[in-house]
Amino acid sequence: MSGLRSFVARRLLLGVAQIVAVVLLVFALTEALPGDAAVALAGDQPDPARIEAIRTAMELDRPAWERLVDWAAGLLHGDLGTSLTSGRPVTWYLVDGFGPTLLLTALTVVLLVPAGLGLGVLAARYEGRLADRLISSVTLAVYAVPEFALGVLLVTVFALRLGWLPPTAVGHGADLLAHPGVLVLPVLVLLARPVCSLVRLVRAGMIDALASPYVAHALRYGVSGARVRYLHALPHALAPAVQQLARTIDWLLCGVVVVETLFVIPGLGTVLLGAVGERDVPVVQGLAVVFGVVTVVLNLGADVLAHRLAPRAGVAA
Amino acid sequence: MSVNRESATGVAPVAEVRDLRVEIDGRAVVDGVSFRVLPGRVTALVGGSGSGKTTTGLALLGEYPRGARVGGEVRVATGGPVGYVPQHPASVLAPARRVDALLTDIAWMQVRHLPRGKRRAAARALVVRALEDAQLADAESMVRRYPHQLSGGQQQRVVLAQALLLGSRVVVADEPTTGQDGLTKRRVVGQLAALTTRGIAVVLLSHDLDVVRALADEVVVLREGRVVESGPAERLWEAPRHPWTRELLASEGGPTSFDVGVTRSRRPVVRVRGLVARHRAGSRSGPVVLRVPALDLHAGECLAVVGRSGSGKTTLARCLAGLHRDHDGDVLLDDTGLPRSLRQRNRAQLASVQYVFQDAHAAFDEHRPVVRQVARTAVRLRGADAEAARREALSVLARLGLPEDLVRRRPGGLSGGELQRAALARALLARPRVLLCDEITSGLDTVTRRDILGTLTELVAERGDLALVLITHDLATAALAHRVAVLDAGEVVEQGPARKVLADPRHPFTRSLVGTAEPAAST
Repeated sequence: MSGLRSFVARRLLLGVAQIVAVVLLVFALTEALPGDAAVALAGDQPDPARIEAIRTAMELDRPAWERLVDWAAGLLHGDLGTSLTSGRPVTWYLVDGFGPTLLLTALTVVLLVPAGLGLGVLAARYEGRLADRLISSVTLAVYAVPEFALGVLLVTVFALRLGWLPPTAVGHGADLLAHPGVLVLPVLVLLARPVCSLVRLVRAGMIDALASPYVAHALRYGVSGARVRYLHALPHALAPAVQQLARTIDWLLCGVVVVETLFVIPGLGTVLLGAVGERDVPVVQGLAVVFGVVTVVLNLGADVLAHRLAPRAGVAA
Repeated sequence: MSVNRESATGVAPVAEVRDLRVEIDGRAVVDGVSFRVLPGRVTALVGGSGSGKTTTGLALLGEYPRGARVGGEVRVATGGPVGYVPQHPASVLAPARRVDALLTDIAWMQVRHLPRGKRRAAARALVVRALEDAQLADAESMVRRYPHQLSGGQQQRVVLAQALLLGSRVVVADEPTTGQDGLTKRRVVGQLAALTTRGIAVVLLSHDLDVVRALADEVVVLREGRVVESGPAERLWEAPRHPWTRELLASEGGPTSFDVGVTRSRRPVVRVRGLVARHRAGSRSGPVVLRVPALDLHAGECLAVVGRSGSGKTTLARCLAGLHRDHDGDVLLDDTGLPRSLRQRNRAQLASVQYVFQDAHAAFDEHRPVVRQVARTAVRLRGADAEAARREALSVLARLGLPEDLVRRRPGGLSGGELQRAALARALLARPRVLLCDEITSGLDTVTRRDILGTLTELVAERGDLALVLITHDLATAALAHRVAVLDAGEVVEQGPARKVLADPRHPFTRSLVGTAEPAAST
């Protein structure tokens, strides 16, 4: 077995353990919250007898550990259980929410990578000059603005004042692609901070790489500047950027609650928010499993890629 | 090897430097240097560090230090850029790309005239041919590797192949043999000589007089940016006119031996038993890289570990220091076994084995004053308080010839030799029982090397309880030790008293090593 393959296998095993831990923690925390699904379902004027009846019907009166074991047994067969509040399978919730989230993620990443790399390389190339100072100060400033603040600002300016774009995705359901206008502002908000961190990482790595003897050597031997920058220097600068990119995609795929809520996009973040509000434990747990898997797989992918980009570093679990 | 030594008359120079002056911040680092580079000849620029030879060499490439004011004239014949082989060939190979990255780029520039479909194959053929011309064995598979997967010698050939592929008429080789063992040196000499047979002019920048002797047709001796003497090599060796040249030639002899009136105990400080070290590749245990059935280090004694690069010398030291965990067998300090990993060693065990690395610059944090980093050892490993540690650091540094105003600076303000002393002082502050010195003099010029070895000799004599391990490829250095262990491909092929082993080697490998350590001029 090659070193890389056993590294991947070990990391996947570790990942399973991590996901189990996350699920246990999420279950314990949801149990610890005051109230449960029965209280949430009973409405505004809860009648204790009615709550008790709902509780019995939902089997919420059984001990917590029994419910957890049942759920875990179902998980082994690929069954994530059913929602407490609606009775629909949890899988439906996940599939419905995943569509919009995946769309937002894909759009964001497609714009993020070229923008981040291009601006980073540009800033490094003109280190200390106007282009670099402009890029560096703007990225720092934008990075300091939290998503919700930027979102509100963009909605106020472009949707409410100028009226160029719809403020939210209300009324479009999950079919967002048919109305590209509603995606512009959310994608901009999602892009803002990741672009900044990526630009800064690439810039730092590129400044090191451009000052290195191997870049001087390639230029000395008449290789064109752009070729040297993108093919000789950039791979070296990419290793840290790849890790950052994995964290960003992870963040995006796990549904950025603030952005989805602000723009009323029915993605995973919205599903999570609703499920927590209704104490819909199976849905929350289903989401925890999905988020856990996404995180483990993405980070593993990033480590493998980083190993390729920094072959000297070797692999360590 | 055959090096042209015909008369230079009538041959047009391929490069000429006339009255070159390079000033940085008003200080001249090169001042009035002139020489001519003839095709098929080796022109050596000789001098210690700070003599201006690297600045002059880079001027041939059209490169100058940032902010330098340049006067004079550098002319290079047309036809291909000037080739460059740096001291560390790995530094010019992009670490995240396969070794053929730059070669392929160069080749693509030469196949532009071909139809699109044929370019890839043609470029590939050019790359492979250039590598074969540079005598890299198994070129086809080598190009799929990353730079760190090649040995230093293979990296050097790849870099040479780049110059050959470019069609350079002049190749500048910067300290190509520094830090190399005798056999490697001879191979480098052979390679550079092979360049000259192709009519390529070689400009050799070196302080390694063995290699200069073996190769140079013309020698230019530099000191503090000025040419002190230049002329045909034979004339210069036979009758050096300038006193500095004479001093340079004289400094080749080593310092006094370690073996001067020191009472050596027969009690071993460290005993190595049944050591088998492997290289890890991922999680699997890789090939065995070192086998040491038994080795003792005695107090007050200097053991030289010699061998070619890649023979396992450094791995041995790393096993002792707890830096190489992947080994079987025991390393016993006095009578207790040392844990394999330094993370499991306690403070006293950590203090008792100290390591001084080859690259002193890399071994210091560039942002903190040297004295603070040196003093930290006593705080960390002996629990001394900060003020006492500082005083002790200053006194040890002063003892090693580094005054207080110097060590208050950051590492950038010290020369390589000075930093290496500081690194020694830092190790000594732990009051070690065993001091591992890994090629600590190999990057230094002959004069500095002699000083450092002199310091080490005194140290061992002064501190009777210290066992010194001197890892070196340089047999002249090894000859100073009490005992020598010879490593070849991870096996201890011979060990015993230095004089006996080096004067009367029994193992064929030791014999070959001793044979090549003689100045290569005899070839």
